Amino acid sequence: MAVSALNTSHEAVAARYQNVDGAYAEQRDMRLMGFVLFLISDVVLFSAFIFAYLYLRNSVPNWPPINKDGVQLPRFDVAFAAINSCVLFGSGATMHFAMENWKHLNKAAFNMWMLATIVLGMTFLGGQAYEYHSVQVTWSGSTMGATFFTLTGMHGFHVLVGVIYLIVLYIQANRGVYTGSKYFGLTAGTLYWHFVDVIWVALFYLFYLM
Amino acid sequence: MAVAAAHAGAVGHHDHIHPEPEGFVAKYIFSLDAKVIGVQYMIAGLLFFIISGLLAEVVRIQLLTPGGAILKNDAYNGVYSLHASGMVWMVVIPMMTGGFGNYVMPLMIGARDVAFPWLNLTAFWMFPVAGVILFSSFLIGAPDAGWTEYPPISVQGPPGTTMWCIAIFLIGISSTLTGINFMVTIFKMRAPGMTFTRMPLFVWAQLATAMLNMIATTALAGALLALFLERVFDVPFYDPARGGSPLLWQHMFWFYSHPAVYIMILPAFGIISEVFPTFARKPIFGYKMIAFSSIAIALLGFMVWAHHMFTSGMAPWLQLPFMILTMVIAVPTGIKIFSWLATLWGGKIDFQPAMLFALGFLVVFTFGGITGIFLSAVPVDLHEHGTYFVVAHIHYVLFGGSIFGAFAGVYYWWPKMTGRMLDRKLGVWHFWTTFLSFNVTFLPMHWLGLLGMPRRVAQYRPEFQFWNDVCSIASFVLAASTLILFYNLATSLIRGKRAPANPWHARTLEWTVSSPPPYYNFKTIPAVLKNPYNFGEPLPYIGLTLAEEEEDRLPKPGPAVPAHS
Repeated sequence: MAVSALNTSHEAVAARYQNVDGAYAEQRDMRLMGFVLFLISDVVLFSAFIFAYLYLRNSVPNWPPINKDGVQLPRFDVAFAAINSCVLFGSGATMHFAMENWKHLNKAAFNMWMLATIVLGMTFLGGQAYEYHSVQVTWSGSTMGATFFTLTGMHGFHVLVGVIYLIVLYIQANRGVYTGSKYFGLTAGTLYWHFVDVIWVALFYLFYLM
Repeated sequence: MAVAAAHAGAVGHHDHIHPEPEGFVAKYIFSLDAKVIGVQYMIAGLLFFIISGLLAEVVRIQLLTPGGAILKNDAYNGVYSLHASGMVWMVVIPMMTGGFGNYVMPLMIGARDVAFPWLNLTAFWMFPVAGVILFSSFLIGAPDAGWTEYPPISVQGPPGTTMWCIAIFLIGISSTLTGINFMVTIFKMRAPGMTFTRMPLFVWAQLATAMLNMIATTALAGALLALFLERVFDVPFYDPARGGSPLLWQHMFWFYSHPAVYIMILPAFGIISEVFPTFARKPIFGYKMIAFSSIAIALLGFMVWAHHMFTSGMAPWLQLPFMILTMVIAVPTGIKIFSWLATLWGGKIDFQPAMLFALGFLVVFTFGGITGIFLSAVPVDLHEHGTYFVVAHIHYVLFGGSIFGAFAGVYYWWPKMTGRMLDRKLGVWHFWTTFLSFNVTFLPMHWLGLLGMPRRVAQYRPEFQFWNDVCSIASFVLAASTLILFYNLATSLIRGKRAPANPWHARTLEWTVSSPPPYYNFKTIPAVLKNPYNFGEPLPYIGLTLAEEEEDRLPKPGPAVPAHS
């Protein structure tokens, strides 16, 4: 993919940089910093619940814990979650390709990769819904369920917001809101999507592998 | 060379002026102007200050007699819980960052507004909504576990506890957004030539506060969300019967709430650092040390939270590091105190009300800081924890620190904000009545605590009655003394003397524009050559358009002196 991106005419890419005006660059830098700071504070929110999970997990002798009926809870199913994780990580890759193609003014390829990202994001959410349906713990039944549903639920909410955000960006991009040199919305969308990916790496390790 | 570059930057892209909005609503209600939003924060904060202050008086009336004068125990629990929650979240934090930060910080760095005006507007409107939710929890049963809302009481508490969760969550989001906004503003929108070591110290304090707000507050949001889920959806986080842990709340709560005490005090440090050099007519002593110690306090503030939990059953080996780290915070704080003292040394002090409150701050805050060292020592804390000693300590640092700082800020910047002077004589009266009644109110609580009177009780043993009555009567004087301020503010608005652009002959940028400043703050953005505290030298700004009436009186902006870097 990267090869075809490089084939884009050098003139077009050069023209892009000549169009950047100072006021826009300043606005963009401020928004970028603000957005990154927002993501950092969001990381803290997840960290608070990850701390809660580790704290509760380490305050009982064995994990998974024993529920109120005295039954040892089963571990979460790694296999399905691993496949679903691949879907989400794959969507990170397609998002990256979409962004690279936008930068190199390949609108058709951008659209394709963007749609792929949206579909993969929805697929992940579908997988999450299936897992919620099939998993054997409940939200209010044990601390394992409480932390699992709260953390993955928060993450799923972020993915849902991300999918909506990407759909809006897709529409905006096709209505000509962004240009080859002014596309901060797409940058923010990409950052957000990768952020959601990275959070999932941590959650996957914490709930399925640890 | 550097000067030429800085000056060229001054006429760059910062230089567009937005048109002023038309119409009452756009101008005063949903304004995007940081100055208007700052004033809105102050008005709302003042209203909540009155409510929370009256709740404190209810507490003191209740404690006039050992058996409790007016309230049943449950009602009393709600009153002190909302007094503290209101003062912390609805008064001090929004006033210090949202109020003073919004009004003064952009002016000080030579900006026309904050980085994200819409975000600022959104963050502001969460605040009064949160305040109304918090105080209306009285209608359905107020939260009754104190402002810390420890489980299991908060999990089992009355329905109002859920409203408390929602209100604090909202104000937390508001603080986080303001923190992000201020960080970007300070990093990206300083006037050309204003390097970090040329920023006014108030801006440094706001920067450290914004960092704390941005990082710590979302941790509280997590704790509150978990409490909300446990109360509403019965999700076990804190219930030990189902594997949860009440200690988990304490960790999450204090991970925010210890940094939060620095969120409340750092802006006051910033105000004091502006007031001292202005009224001592001297350069601030140890500019860099004061600036960096703000950051040091912010960073250390994250590593000490468990000193609130020495008696909660935490691992004993953890107590020592938390105790030592807590005591280490006294070092940057001490650096500030001694730098302020050295600023005063040999100065020609002008005892304006703002300066009196700054000096009062120095006395009582240092006192409160020292009792803080007592409390951080594990063996002492085991005795004093949960007693009135803690109540005395928190009021010395929070009232004597933050609120005295806010009073100093009000007297200092009121002429800038309103274009009217406050009455000096009334200000002096306000200071002395407040200072004396404050000390009589809270000093006896130290020995009440040492003698073993527990905090948060509606009744107490009869032998404590004398000093409780002293506290209560002094607290009524304290409330009355605040009326002097309100009277002063009201009469100033109606018939106060017109304020010149720079009544105190201060040197930071906000004093170079008219009082009140125009909508766009600066006609042209000035370039900055030095930090603003070199009294006796020409103003270190190039390209300043002074307010007209000031043209003759101010020291003229100097010739292009090479910047020392």
